[in-house]
Amino acid sequence: MSKEAILKATDLGKEYGELCVLKDVSMTMERGEFIAIVGKSGSGKTTLLSLVSGLERPTNGRVVLNNKDITATSENDLALFRRENVGFIFQSFNLIPTLSAWENVALPLFPEKMPAQDRRDRALDLLQQMELDHRVDHLPSTLSGGEKQRVAIARALVNNPKIVFADEPTGNLDSETGESIMNILKDLHAENGMSLLMVTHDLDLAKAADRIVRMQDGEVVL
Amino acid sequence: MRLRYLIKELYYRRRRTLTAVLGLSVGIALLIIINALSMAYHEAARMPLKEIGADITVQRAGDVPEELAGPVFACSAITIRKQEIEKIRKIKGIEGFGQALLIWVFDPDRFTIVLGIDTENPIGPGILRNNVTGGKFLENEREEALVDVSYARQFGIKVGDSITIDRKAYPVVGLVDASRAAKIAVANVYLPLEVAQKIATSAKQVQKVSPFYKGDANLLFIRADQRDTRHIVAALKSILGKGVNVATPDSFLKLLGDLFALSDKFSLATSLIAILVAILIVFKTMAGNISERAKEIGTLKAVGWTNRNVVFQLTGESVLQCLAGGILGLLIALLATFALGFMQVNIPIPWEMSPTPHFLPGGGDPVFKTLRLPVKIPWALGSFSIILSMLIGGITGGILSRRISRIKPSEVLRYE
Repeated sequence: MSKEAILKATDLGKEYGELCVLKDVSMTMERGEFIAIVGKSGSGKTTLLSLVSGLERPTNGRVVLNNKDITATSENDLALFRRENVGFIFQSFNLIPTLSAWENVALPLFPEKMPAQDRRDRALDLLQQMELDHRVDHLPSTLSGGEKQRVAIARALVNNPKIVFADEPTGNLDSETGESIMNILKDLHAENGMSLLMVTHDLDLAKAADRIVRMQDGEVVL
Repeated sequence: MRLRYLIKELYYRRRRTLTAVLGLSVGIALLIIINALSMAYHEAARMPLKEIGADITVQRAGDVPEELAGPVFACSAITIRKQEIEKIRKIKGIEGFGQALLIWVFDPDRFTIVLGIDTENPIGPGILRNNVTGGKFLENEREEALVDVSYARQFGIKVGDSITIDRKAYPVVGLVDASRAAKIAVANVYLPLEVAQKIATSAKQVQKVSPFYKGDANLLFIRADQRDTRHIVAALKSILGKGVNVATPDSFLKLLGDLFALSDKFSLATSLIAILVAILIVFKTMAGNISERAKEIGTLKAVGWTNRNVVFQLTGESVLQCLAGGILGLLIALLATFALGFMQVNIPIPWEMSPTPHFLPGGGDPVFKTLRLPVKIPWALGSFSIILSMLIGGITGGILSRRISRIKPSEVLRYE
């Protein structure tokens, strides 16, 4: 018996003017699954991630994420949906330079009406899980690349997401640090059953996934 | 929580923040200083009249007496009839009223400026009650005299002596130092109004030039709300006709000269320019700040911040920054106005209001009321400036953040 689908993309296409970067891509992801999307630079893998995560709207096609058709949702609802259901890990970390590590982790909770202490406790708890409890008050500029990405992972998890999207999460790290970040992601998937959709160009990293989706020239190839 | 983010953003980008805060503070300081100065000049222009308890004085100009012998009227202050006075009293907006009678008395051995005063009325020269330096003040209808101290010193007059006015002796009941009180409506000798009226009624030269009867006067003092001044002046001119001379704070302001008087239009124009420049500085700084943070805003949106959350955050930063600018501007203005408060201003007294005949030694010299510029920042102006600063922050922040909040996260977060 197959598991429930957390993500279902049907005939997704994306065009920028005359340029077609994604051609009728369909994919399904089960709840708790770890999928790696691989492909060369320009193959459309990051565009696919942007579309299925709701960061961008497709030119055609439909995306149902956690039972919600995100292609037919308003900008405001989509932002709220992302806040409640989705976590993001970016290649360049995208931490806010003015905020400390714990404040960066708590960033998705800032607009939430909740006691400040709860927010802080949640962030500190995650930083402890990432073995960063000694760096909670440090600014991103004082953290190493690996530490920054661990802060970013903690931020992606702070809202208890149903699915985490990771775009080249080790792309900016040396191989040793990259490996430790991959181990964290693997553990999160294995221990917590977290749904994880990762974009990478590194086939070795992709091997850690349950399933690999290959992309070429805007299409999924078998 | 978001306040923490807000403050940290401003602190982290302190160069930009400082530029915006300083730019706005200079604009706000200029706005406050210009308006405080304008108000100070207006207040200073009110002082010569305020010192005699009035807001408006009224005289009527007439012919020069044929012969300078006995009691005469100055050509700048001839009879205002009792009936006219009654009409004037009924003008809408007049809050208080006083009258006096100025007479030049050419006795064979001495020239005396005599002022008949309504002793019980604090509007007009009756206010001199507070400046008695010896003896007592006058009582209505009693045939007694009050002598100016410098005149008394010149002629060796003491309390208890008598002084002769138009061949009649009056006991000197007190000495008064009018120079401490006013520059207008001052005289050598003060008599109760009714006594002075008797002198004028029986004076041949007065009657020749300007018939005078019991109950008439030649100086009127009016207290009125400044907002009503214009229509009161118009009504006075219509009652008294040609030759009427009405002095108001505005007429004193005009004597100060346009440059110093800072007309309302000038202060409005300069205030607007100052604020416009401040807005441009804030706008430019904020625009630079926001465009630098496109990636950060993309991140906020990716992690679930709505457009409204982003607008709220950026506008909050702008408002806080402008509030700091407003407060700094107010502090700068407070310091500047404190310094300007030491500045002295000379308010010229028009020749027709000076009681001394121009043909006497010193009579033609310009008379000034010298006072320290009464500069202060009213609470309303201070509060308005702070609110204006926050409004500038709110509007510029709102406009710029609404645009940037529509940014698509995927456009700015794509790794290059």
